[in-house]
Amino acid sequence: MSGPLTAVLAQVEAGTPTLVEIARRTGLSEEVTRAAVDHLLRSGRLAADQVPIGCPPGGCGGCAVAATCSQPVMLSLSVRR
Amino acid sequence: MSVAERAASSVPTLSVKQCCHTGGGEGAGPQSPVVALAGAPNTGKSTLFNALTGANVTMGNWPGTTVEVSRGAWHAPASCLCEGCTCPDSQPLDITLVDLPGAYSLDPHSPDEALTRELLIGGPADERPDIAVVTCDASRLTGCLYLVAQLREQGLAMVVALTMGDVADKRGIVVDVDALTERLGVPVVAIDPRRRGGLGGLAIAVRDALGVPAPDPRPVPADADALALEDDRFSWIADVVEAATTATAKDARTRSDKVDRWVTAPVLGPLIFLAVMWLVFQVTTTIAAPLQDFLDTLFSGPVTDATVAGLHAVGLGDTWVQGLLVDGLIAGVGMLLTFVPLMTLMFILLALLEDSGYLARAAVVTDRLMRRIGLPGRAFLPLIVGYGCNVPAISGTRILPNARHRILTALLVPFTACTARLTVFVMMGSIFFGAYAGTAVFGMYLTSIVIIVLVGLALRGTLWKGEPIEPLVIDLPAYQVPTLRLTASVTWVKLKGFLQTATGIILVTVIGVWLLQSIPTQPGEAFGEVPVQDSVYGVAAQAITPVFAPAGFNSWQSASTLVVGFVAKEAVISSWAQTYAVAEPEEGGAPGDLGVAVMNTFVESSGGHPIPAALAFMIFLLAYTPCVATVATQWREIGGRWTLFGVGLQLVVAWTLAVAVFQVGRLFW
Repeated sequence: MSGPLTAVLAQVEAGTPTLVEIARRTGLSEEVTRAAVDHLLRSGRLAADQVPIGCPPGGCGGCAVAATCSQPVMLSLSVRR
Repeated sequence: MSVAERAASSVPTLSVKQCCHTGGGEGAGPQSPVVALAGAPNTGKSTLFNALTGANVTMGNWPGTTVEVSRGAWHAPASCLCEGCTCPDSQPLDITLVDLPGAYSLDPHSPDEALTRELLIGGPADERPDIAVVTCDASRLTGCLYLVAQLREQGLAMVVALTMGDVADKRGIVVDVDALTERLGVPVVAIDPRRRGGLGGLAIAVRDALGVPAPDPRPVPADADALALEDDRFSWIADVVEAATTATAKDARTRSDKVDRWVTAPVLGPLIFLAVMWLVFQVTTTIAAPLQDFLDTLFSGPVTDATVAGLHAVGLGDTWVQGLLVDGLIAGVGMLLTFVPLMTLMFILLALLEDSGYLARAAVVTDRLMRRIGLPGRAFLPLIVGYGCNVPAISGTRILPNARHRILTALLVPFTACTARLTVFVMMGSIFFGAYAGTAVFGMYLTSIVIIVLVGLALRGTLWKGEPIEPLVIDLPAYQVPTLRLTASVTWVKLKGFLQTATGIILVTVIGVWLLQSIPTQPGEAFGEVPVQDSVYGVAAQAITPVFAPAGFNSWQSASTLVVGFVAKEAVISSWAQTYAVAEPEEGGAPGDLGVAVMNTFVESSGGHPIPAALAFMIFLLAYTPCVATVATQWREIGGRWTLFGVGLQLVVAWTLAVAVFQVGRLFW
């Protein structure tokens, strides 16, 4: 049986680069895709890392502009083995 | 024993009906029905609890746990308003309300979820709450319904309280409460606990649900494994959400998605990325050039003249003090400071790209390229950071779980063209390529990518053969209009870092270079009055000059600045300025015209082929060791053996490419 979680996991395994692209390829809505990814992260089937583009390696805590920064955090996802 | 262990072993001590526990707090009384308030974090659950119970609340850790649970009395108003009616619903009902910790699911992934599971479904039926009220955020319905799906499999009486309706409205999400009720199979009530809206309706729904048997459990596939079971719940949730919600607004996310179709496309994406970066360099060099010329004239003219005049006035003219201040500090640091407008503009443009969300798209494009050529997917993260500064980029390799990938990436990072090298590229570009300076700088960045790809492929084909490549997915933020405040803050932080380096390491290097240029190697010459080529600095540089003969820049001036550049690339320009500031009067050149002096040096050393020699010099500068700080960081992260291998690799690659470029280029220019 293949449901939303299996479909999302398969796309992550296949290297589909963005969540929007995963939603498009699986036919799921973007909201369901995001909820599925959140669930897979919580259950430990996926791992997430913050992408440190323009950010200090230590994350927001060590950043001088953290107080004024309003940027969404970009995350990278990978299948946990 | 942890809560999770308790849950696993079914120790019968956790029950919402055991109100005698200290941490359980006070309820409405032992005979009153118990309603458990559950829901995902940030769905308005505690706000609802406070609205229903008022001040009549006790809070504390649940016995044997560190999880906080609140208990209070909810005086639910009469739901039957018929005049003279004596039915039970015509009287207020005291209910014990238990505010459970926020939980996305009944799966015990955290102590909060373990306790929620234990209290809702862990114990015998008579110890469970009489009914569960589950709060659901209408603007994030899918994320809230997993808990509802699990509870629907348990046959527990339940009412769903739909919160955040105003947020959903703003996002153009419309939830059909009747359709949701029908699909979920339990009552749904829209509420606004902050304004106490809908609480009467919730009381009616709860009282009604208390008076009837719990709905039949939702059937689940038999013999399904954990993932199949979770998949079944998500399929059910997707169907429920599709049937009960409509999104009417075309929000920023949708617009971003449309743009991303083009910007992250496999072929068009890299082309757009290259065009954007070319535009950045072109705009930077074109707009900053007049400001740079003004500052150059200021430092080499009025500032130098005023300093010389002042030193003569205090009797220090034509002494070593004048040499240090004028030929050392003003020529060296002053020349570097002329790049402040250029760096400011560059940082502003990069901050705009970053704040708008485009830089994240560039990461997708780069990542795809990396994986296509067989490099580890995550390696692109520190490599992107490396284009700002190599030092944090090498520290950033820690995000790679595989040790061999960490080493490979740390070896590739020094080939990324950091902003310190940018100043030299811009200067060389303006001297040798005039109006095409921006294109020349852009070409160096392209070359940097090509070197990384080729060296990466070579290393993977030899030392790292057969290493698995992990897939990677990026959650892109929506595009947004850059904010002036954030752009200014980011620009200032980066510019401050540049200035701190200029006034820190560079100041020390400038003084060191001046000192070496002042020490004579021949007897009879005085300190500070020796021609540079006869100083310790000049003689040492002449000793290594022949190495660069095949690359066309075998002058001691060029060779020496590469040695200084090993300390920090910002020092390349300052040491050059120092060298020519001292040497120019001897050669009779125009004072302060560093470009002409550098051009003459390259014409002479290349045998009349200055353009390929300049290109070779820039490529050598791009590929050899960035700075001592990078070496120190590599040493810490990947050890001495790999660091020395890396330094050797960089020198071999730099020299080989420089020679190849010059030898091929001299055939055409």
